[in-house]
Amino acid sequence: MDKKEYDVIIIGGGITGAGTARDCALRGLKVLLIERKDIADGATGRNHGLLHSGARYAVTDQESATECIEENMILKRVARHCVDDTTGLFISLPEDDLGFQATFVERCRQAGIQADIIDPEEARRLEPSVNPALIGAVRVPDGSVDPFRLTAANMLDAKLHGADVLLYTEVTSFLIENGTVVGVRTLDHKSGEKGEYRSRMTVNAGGIWGHGIAEKAGVQVGMFPAKGALLIFAHRVADIVLNRCRKPANADILVPGETVSIIGTTSTRIPFEECDHMQVTPDEVNLLVTEGAKLAPILEHTRILRAYAGVRPLVASDSDPSGRSISRGIVLLDHETRDGLKGFATITGGKLMTYRLMAEKATDLVCRKLGVEAACVTRTVPLPGSESATLEEAAGKIWAAPTTAQKATVGRLGDNAGRIPLDDVYSQSLVCECEEVTVGEVNNAIDHLDVHNLVDIRRRTRVGMGTCQGELCGCRTAGLLAKAGVCTRKAKEDLKGFMRERWKGMYPIAWGDTLREGEYSQWVYSEVLGLNED
Amino acid sequence: MRYDTLIIGGGLSGLVCGLQLQQAGRKTAIVSAGQNAMHFSSGAFGLLSRLEDGTPVDEPLTVLDKLGPDHPYTKIGPEKMAALLHTVKPFFAQAGIPLAGEESRNSFLITPTGNGKRVWLALDDMTLLPDGDSAFGSKALIVNLKGYLDFNTSFLAEGLERRGMKCRIEAVELPEMNRLRSNPTEMRSVNIARVMDGGEAWKHLVAAVNRLITDEDTVILPAVFGFADGAVIQAIREGIRVRTVFIGTMPPSVPGIRSQMRLKKAFELAGGTMLLGDQATAPVFRGSRLESLGTVNLGEVRLEADHYVMATGSFFSKGLWATPQRVEEPLLGLDLYAPEDRNRWYATDFFAPQEYIAFGARTDAGFHPLRGGQALENVYAIGSLLGGCNAVQMGCGAGIAILTALAVADRIINE
Repeated sequence: MDKKEYDVIIIGGGITGAGTARDCALRGLKVLLIERKDIADGATGRNHGLLHSGARYAVTDQESATECIEENMILKRVARHCVDDTTGLFISLPEDDLGFQATFVERCRQAGIQADIIDPEEARRLEPSVNPALIGAVRVPDGSVDPFRLTAANMLDAKLHGADVLLYTEVTSFLIENGTVVGVRTLDHKSGEKGEYRSRMTVNAGGIWGHGIAEKAGVQVGMFPAKGALLIFAHRVADIVLNRCRKPANADILVPGETVSIIGTTSTRIPFEECDHMQVTPDEVNLLVTEGAKLAPILEHTRILRAYAGVRPLVASDSDPSGRSISRGIVLLDHETRDGLKGFATITGGKLMTYRLMAEKATDLVCRKLGVEAACVTRTVPLPGSESATLEEAAGKIWAAPTTAQKATVGRLGDNAGRIPLDDVYSQSLVCECEEVTVGEVNNAIDHLDVHNLVDIRRRTRVGMGTCQGELCGCRTAGLLAKAGVCTRKAKEDLKGFMRERWKGMYPIAWGDTLREGEYSQWVYSEVLGLNED
Repeated sequence: MRYDTLIIGGGLSGLVCGLQLQQAGRKTAIVSAGQNAMHFSSGAFGLLSRLEDGTPVDEPLTVLDKLGPDHPYTKIGPEKMAALLHTVKPFFAQAGIPLAGEESRNSFLITPTGNGKRVWLALDDMTLLPDGDSAFGSKALIVNLKGYLDFNTSFLAEGLERRGMKCRIEAVELPEMNRLRSNPTEMRSVNIARVMDGGEAWKHLVAAVNRLITDEDTVILPAVFGFADGAVIQAIREGIRVRTVFIGTMPPSVPGIRSQMRLKKAFELAGGTMLLGDQATAPVFRGSRLESLGTVNLGEVRLEADHYVMATGSFFSKGLWATPQRVEEPLLGLDLYAPEDRNRWYATDFFAPQEYIAFGARTDAGFHPLRGGQALENVYAIGSLLGGCNAVQMGCGAGIAILTALAVADRIINE
């Protein structure tokens, strides 16, 4: 049995856990991060990927708005290879109250968010895809952020500063001695081996699953799972984030992400049992398409690539455990003061793009408990990959005249693209034509980024995320994984799992070209590859 | 323009039907968009590999009575099926496509993932195995071209090792491939085949492979040779000093494209007209007859024929088109097997039988498609446009394409 001691154990490999692990490691703590699946498997990887300016919350929640704009500006500096600084428009349509715009702008400015009213003509020029019927527009510093890249970069930096990371490892129970959490027992889902790890502090960063984790420690955190469904469109139909200038509602944000666009979201309370098996319903799809087309009418005729859903971890205020009064802000629970359980804290709520602030708050608490005096540096120290001032500069350091595929690689890896061998033509051939992912990049993920299967590789490289949804690149990547020493039988099973996972996002929207692609995949995997024969 | 028969769709079914008609002296034209399902062939034709419930089939002719009333084979009828089966090999052979395999019994094809799959006849670069357990020999040297990603050697080795074959994997580097390799998207099957077709490259490959052989009795290569003709395949087989077996790759399929080109050439040599890169539109009906069609390229010019054959394929070839509300046959608005409730189109597991694969045109017993409940007298539907069976699950897609094409051609000829 594996036994080790740490200063702090962090449970959860989403962006909050990864960010907290990095912050703790940068402050000199000995860190262990434990994740039951892969990085960014939960809500981290299942949202818009919106780098909020905070404008969306300006009218309803000034505190969140202020947090967002501060973090927005920080991430544009320290995580620039994960961020696309697109800017955003809040548009008013004829059915909207234009009077809301003045309040909106006023409240944005109060929160420190630059908000410029532009006339509809100017908005149509800036973003030709915008609904031409708009009657007003406000420009704000929204952007998009790649959650997988952001999580991987935080995880990588934590490891560079001494953190250990256990993926596919689940915390089964807590070691509690004299009213103090002193460590965890684990189960490694890959090997089936049990482990025991001791620490002076344990941080629960499990998102919605943090509810169950806290229960294992004997404390209650009143969480409510809220499902949000989203659709990925096959083109980058707009270059600017489009929002509706009204109180936040369903399906009113369209975010460009790399080669695609994402519309969302919905909000439905679901039972905890559904969190691991979410399916997008036809009603949700219909709502997203109809509302999305109001932002950019072309969406009605744009191919949909995938439907997916994430779960927001809504947290009930401690004063009202019924769940009627929900906090959408950052929630840091010190279970020593709250529940009399020492050595244990929960960090939850918040948003993808306020992860750094959540990590800072959690790490401040850990340091205070451990008597460590070290200041947070994550506001200024760039993530690995974001050292160069621009991606052009990063690419220029590696290649004299980068190709589009090389630019795509730098977009994904930033300065870390330099790790991929240059003198080898084989490394430069494309595994995934849709997303321009090279052999070298896949091998880099296999060698350095803790991948265990094809879906893990997808999260780190975008293999299989493009229009073909993994038809050919899935099999090619499986070949590279098998070459890297993964058991071949397992690699075959893994390829089947990868195709199952891809189909899960396709069938809710399988009509038109998506159904054609689905039929083609059926043909290739059954008729040509005979993978169903096994 | 007037023809005896106008065929819409230049895939396997349309070409077989067209060639048969043209050889019988019928003036035939084929309207074809270009690429078709043969470009994604496994290198073999399935006749019937499984029944609907998944039961494996070894002798397809003996289980025809177990197929449902809507299955195209049931409409052809058992006697006609038996008669047609024996015409398939000679038909393809005279079109320059020799086929391997037994007519009345399924054989096994080793797929690119090393799994054994029941098939009927195979293009002759493929080597079929007689049963589910046998292998090509006792020791295999699996050789890939370095940098070619669409031939998964470790998957293949794992499959062959389960059949008791010892496998060793090697990759050869040929100078002729340098140009392909320097471009990140060029190392694909068709490009390799083009390089190998001309010049000395294949000789260098043979020499390199012969140097690698130690005690192996079989060499396994990806089926990426012989784009224009099969001569290079024969030359490689003769040059390598042990038995050489070609295994299919990820698409595009070189053997499939070669066969499609040969069928097309045979059709044209027989005097048939190919309207390539074009799309049929604007049908005009009179009662239960189709009077004429237009095409995108021909503009105002109308195409007229005594008989029309719809060989437009299924979703992939846009013979069928799905909207969020329904599935449609876009050219003639034919009646389909397809429920309106979208939740009934799919299985949520990718590898479970997918309901939508069985969607397609409804026809009467003579393959006349129905439109508004009425059979179109001078129109036939063939190939994967036909509904009523799950061809992926049952492994009968190629069989349906070929046999419905031949059956309908016979009907037209004998009318």
